[in-house]
Amino acid sequence: NFMPVCSLGLCGLHHPWLVAAGYSCSGPLCATAVAVKTLPLQTDSTNVTDKILNLPLEMPDFFRCADRLMEPYLFGSRLDQDIIDLDQTVEHLQSALNFTAHIAYRGSVILFVSRRRQFGHLVESTAQDCGEYAHTRYWQGGLLTNAPIQYGPGVRLPDLIVFFSTLNNVFQQHVGVRDAAKMNIPTVGLVDSNCNPSLVTYPVPGNDDTPAAMELYCRLFKMTINRAKDKRRQMELLQGRSAVGLTTSS
Amino acid sequence: MAGSRLEKFGTVFTRVRDLMRSGVVKQSDKPIWYDVYKTFPPMKDPLYVRPVAKRYGKKEEAVPDIFYREDENRAKFYEGCGTGPRAFDLSKSSFVSTCQRFVEKYTEFESQGELEKQSLFEETGKALLAEDLGLRRRGIPAVASETRNPVLGMKLTDMLAEQQADAPGGTRAPGKEKPTQVPLNPQ
Repeated sequence: NFMPVCSLGLCGLHHPWLVAAGYSCSGPLCATAVAVKTLPLQTDSTNVTDKILNLPLEMPDFFRCADRLMEPYLFGSRLDQDIIDLDQTVEHLQSALNFTAHIAYRGSVILFVSRRRQFGHLVESTAQDCGEYAHTRYWQGGLLTNAPIQYGPGVRLPDLIVFFSTLNNVFQQHVGVRDAAKMNIPTVGLVDSNCNPSLVTYPVPGNDDTPAAMELYCRLFKMTINRAKDKRRQMELLQGRSAVGLTTSS
Repeated sequence: MAGSRLEKFGTVFTRVRDLMRSGVVKQSDKPIWYDVYKTFPPMKDPLYVRPVAKRYGKKEEAVPDIFYREDENRAKFYEGCGTGPRAFDLSKSSFVSTCQRFVEKYTEFESQGELEKQSLFEETGKALLAEDLGLRRRGIPAVASETRNPVLGMKLTDMLAEQQADAPGGTRAPGKEKPTQVPLNPQ
């Protein structure tokens, strides 16, 4: 199962930047870090496509209010309803989930954000099940940009922010997208056809209106993060070291 | 930790990379996601795109309309029969609506190629009627299962006029109510 991935991982290891990256236990960590890719992807690639096609994920926004920047992700418009191209969605989703898995593997703080009141509880319970954090209420202006003053001097900011809807309740872009870009925090965002995907690091074009779609995405992210963390614990047990020595974060 | 808050210039990655290159951010302070981003970059760089207010000149249709060949037949169906007799039941994924059955029958007849175009519509309608779908043209009411009671078709004003005409004669027309009834409001 790991054979095709190890070849990918070894290709990466030959690069000089990785050697100089400062991994103290570089060999096994790098191979496993890339090997984590198999966990969320190989089982998901077929499942995700089936699940997405079977669910009404293509019921996007009405009345042709697509953002100009979302036009490359749209398949077409059927009677004024913009249909998102699901082939592109699958690729973007795989890329986003892979990134999330690697970040979770390295022991980071992930923040789920969604300002949709309909799915607030769902997002919060997803975060709780993963052991990560969620923010589905009013976003205070200085939450990220003024954090040391608002929350104390040594506060740790999230290393990844996952937006289950990049819009706030007045259909404008969520302040968190811009703030994360300001604070150099990568973002994964579910962008609908009326959203602006330019500032989101890993946009996933998809529908954020239907409960079925939101449940699918929550389930996928939860599964990804849990698997990454399990893999991490497994590697730690195998190597018999504590978590503090292995992480490279400050 | 030092940072760059210029979200409109470059991507998150380029800013951190340049900060590290210039020595502002030490290698030990490298963010967790830096290497992961480098190995698995996104498909499109998350550069900030300035929103363009207006598109002058001819606006190109960047998003193509999705139309199928069967849409013509669907249009004919809805023009002729209104919204169709049966409601759409979307809870079943394998649900076939009346319109869809019409379109399938139509394409079947068309592929057989025996009938002319004008008669295709009627033939399909007849075929579907044979399957007890109860299609009807818009404007033509459905065939009633019971015949209406002829009494309901009579107007009270007419009855009253007959009664007054008959009263001196003494005979009463059949189907009338009591002759001494107070005249009701013709409503």
